[in-house]
Amino acid sequence: MIFLTVGTQFPFDRLVKAVDEIVSKNGLDEHIFAQVGTTTYRPRNFEAVSSLEKTLFDKHFSEADSIISHAGMGTIMMALESGKPLLVMPRLSKYGEVVNDHQLAIARKFEQLGYLLAAYGAEDVTEKMKQLKSFVPQDRQSEAKIVADRISIFLNELSDSK
Amino acid sequence: MSNTDKPKSLRICLAASAGGHVSQLLKLAESWNGYETFCVTTTEVVRDKLSKFGVVYVVGECNRQHPIRVITVLLRCIRIIFKERPDVVISTGAAAGCMLCLLGKMLGAKIVWIDSITNVERLSLSGRMVRYIADLFLVQWPELAIRYKKVEYVGAVV
Repeated sequence: MIFLTVGTQFPFDRLVKAVDEIVSKNGLDEHIFAQVGTTTYRPRNFEAVSSLEKTLFDKHFSEADSIISHAGMGTIMMALESGKPLLVMPRLSKYGEVVNDHQLAIARKFEQLGYLLAAYGAEDVTEKMKQLKSFVPQDRQSEAKIVADRISIFLNELSDSK
Repeated sequence: MSNTDKPKSLRICLAASAGGHVSQLLKLAESWNGYETFCVTTTEVVRDKLSKFGVVYVVGECNRQHPIRVITVLLRCIRIIFKERPDVVISTGAAAGCMLCLLGKMLGAKIVWIDSITNVERLSLSGRMVRYIADLFLVQWPELAIRYKKVEYVGAVV
């Protein structure tokens, strides 16, 4: 199963439509389930809901063989932590999908580093979905502990000096 | 971490917009272990994720494209800061976090800012504003610590 998610905050018609049209044109041997948020486009070729509560979202995420999503950091972090193959399409400011192009920057950087695949436009999606089937993401070691320790030191010094 | 007998006595405001900002903030949870905390976020959806770190205030989403919402969110942030009087504001962004940092600083709070990993080549707009008043400003790409002054890189949260 492929889990398609675009967050619940803002619509992302471009991605949902691209995937729907690919399935309509080429057919697909895999089942797709989608959380499309406030996207107005309704896919005809797979099941889509606007939002899922956290536990259901996590269930679909963990059951999926691969994930397709916007390049939102919440989803990217979940995919990296679970080692799921991920294909992202960055939201772009020129289409009013987001206020700046930070999603484009992180998609490029993380694709370069082998953590995910990225489609930069609807025309890329077919090819990248093919690659997604056999894509094995690079393992990423979080350095959260090092950062947390740095903040702890700062807080403890502050607390001690009070 | 220091293991002094002295009780930990800081009141910390944890501020992060829904989505990736909250996810990155939560990765740092052990840093404020033992301190009194409360949270500010932007949508109800993430309230549960934060509720173990004290009272959660939801101020609503805003960005530059919606000036009226910016004012509404700002007023809510002002009310929260005056009511809670934090000693420290820790934020991963975005706009609401930036407002809380600026407001907190005016009332004497220390500011810890962690710029989101999505800012690869330059700091976020919020980060660029907070940089001037931050007491600890962390970035998640080493290149950014070279490019900007008063910015520190120790690793990536993600």
